[in-house]
Amino acid sequence: MGEAVKQGKTIIIDPVTRIEGHSKITLHLNEDGAVEEARFHVTQFRGFEKFCEGRPFYEMPSLMARICGICPVSHLIASAKACDALLAVKIPPTADKLRRIFGLAQVVQSHALSLFHLSSPDLLLGMDADPAKSNLFGVAEANLELARDGIRLRQFGQEIIERLGGKRIHPAWIVPGGVSEPLTDANRDAILFAIPDALRIVERTLEWFKGIMENFREEIASFGNFPTMFMAIVKQDNGLTFYDGKIRIINAAGKVVADALDPTRYFDYIGEKVEPWSYLKSTYYKPVGFPDGIYRVGPLARLNVADRCGTPRADQELAEFHELQRTAVLSSFHYHHARLVEMLYCVERMEQLLNDSEILSQRVRAVARPNALEGVGSCEAPRGTLFHHYKIDEQGLIRWCNLVIATGHNNLAMNRSVLQVAKHFVRGNHLTAGMLNRVEAVIRTYDPCLSCSTHALGQMALRVELLSPSGELLDQVERTG
Amino acid sequence: MPRVLIIAYGNPLRSDDGVGWAVAEELSRKLASLEVEVLQLLQLLPEVAESVSHADAVIFVDASCDGEPGDVCCRPVTPPPANPQFTHQLSPAELLGLARQLYGAPPQAFCLSLTGQSFEHGEELSKSVATGLPQLVAKVEQLTKQLLR
Repeated sequence: MGEAVKQGKTIIIDPVTRIEGHSKITLHLNEDGAVEEARFHVTQFRGFEKFCEGRPFYEMPSLMARICGICPVSHLIASAKACDALLAVKIPPTADKLRRIFGLAQVVQSHALSLFHLSSPDLLLGMDADPAKSNLFGVAEANLELARDGIRLRQFGQEIIERLGGKRIHPAWIVPGGVSEPLTDANRDAILFAIPDALRIVERTLEWFKGIMENFREEIASFGNFPTMFMAIVKQDNGLTFYDGKIRIINAAGKVVADALDPTRYFDYIGEKVEPWSYLKSTYYKPVGFPDGIYRVGPLARLNVADRCGTPRADQELAEFHELQRTAVLSSFHYHHARLVEMLYCVERMEQLLNDSEILSQRVRAVARPNALEGVGSCEAPRGTLFHHYKIDEQGLIRWCNLVIATGHNNLAMNRSVLQVAKHFVRGNHLTAGMLNRVEAVIRTYDPCLSCSTHALGQMALRVELLSPSGELLDQVERTG
Repeated sequence: MPRVLIIAYGNPLRSDDGVGWAVAEELSRKLASLEVEVLQLLQLLPEVAESVSHADAVIFVDASCDGEPGDVCCRPVTPPPANPQFTHQLSPAELLGLARQLYGAPPQAFCLSLTGQSFEHGEELSKSVATGLPQLVAKVEQLTKQLLR
């Protein structure tokens, strides 16, 4: 946990730990010492949208993959799809399937990192555990199998990425028009061989998670448990997908607000707002306006929005998930649960795709010159909906670029969640590790990737500040790691 | 499973921090066998612990900030007495500690390093590191052969 420093009536938690990137939280107290306002500040900046200007469009997938070390594959996919639009090509069916497998493998390794490495210390050891033990070593001491399972599942996803893309981090296998190399039968067989073990791990972890949920009633009630809309890409049959489809938005009651929206027209219905206190832009649903157009994306949103998964075990779990609440499932604590259901889907879906009769086809790339000057690519990244939007000139050089990142979609909800948790757990005059850890833990439910969302060079860090009504810094906690 | 696991790590886009990767490329050619596996990593992450646990011996190869540029150093690595608080990235000793905790007794391990001169953005090794590179490669090769006996 970050170090807490209290100065007058301000608490600062800085850095926020066990997240991907640099941030701090500021809690503002009222005259009675109760939390009145909370802000989640993202304190890093990189500016990928600017420095890619002037680069040849075909460099974009590799360049954009450098935004993130956790979810480079999502950036590769969204970027390559934007480039496909610039080429105006339909990629070969096998390339489409291989890209999907690549994306699913990344979701598994990214979700495993979030759940096992970053959040399982809170879930297994409790929110009030000794911060020095709230890490993978502490998890291994308390539950060896859980710690091993997390490592194995991360490896499973990474090994698939390496087998397909040639390396675990920043693979450049996905290219405009398809993929650069077909899948070999040896690699297909090796991945298929590993699937039963991965399925067993996810199933075992799901059962474990459902067994501990009772211990977190207070957190479920206060961790981002408020009405918002939810947005995700869904298939034509409204099924779960990570690669392609139409945008669907539902409200907190679970009713459809907007359906079959074209992802390439995201700017018609999604607005972006810049706040002076954060490098992370906040998005909102334009027809409702800012800030009431708040919505959430990512695992919780995808499962709320989807009617089905399309794989047998994940469909069973999705039905159970939908029964958590008669409306949409509102508590952000359930992001953890949703991540597990999605991992189950990913493993099952990869098996289906790998057994496809065309998966070893050598036709994996469409070659063309640019045929359009503007292209949008979208996909569901582990943390939510991702858009890449490029404009090029006649020479194929990038003239304008806009990236709308999952963590930005969740910015309004993360801020509101921090306020809800802080109001419930933090009392101004006495800071405890458990209170402050809960403020951090609610951020972790969203698994924000700040390196992605500000396209920034980040380390894991968070600071929480406590401010008086006049803005005086009362206290702060800060942590790196 | 390999008997000797060589883990070369660092960032090849940060000049001399990429010296481990340069060593790995040399050794992948020289030591190619079923008994030796060479991994190139950006940093040491928890998931490497399982691979570490399967080896008889592990050699970490990294750039160092200690000493004079071009200095080559070899030291044994043992698990730390206390676990680290943070696991975003691990030291060789912490990785051994995690392997011990998760999978039982860790293998014997050594860290061979070459002191860097520049860690700025760039893909080229500085002159002093490039000069010391053959010595580092030779030491890793020699140690690997000793461990295989």
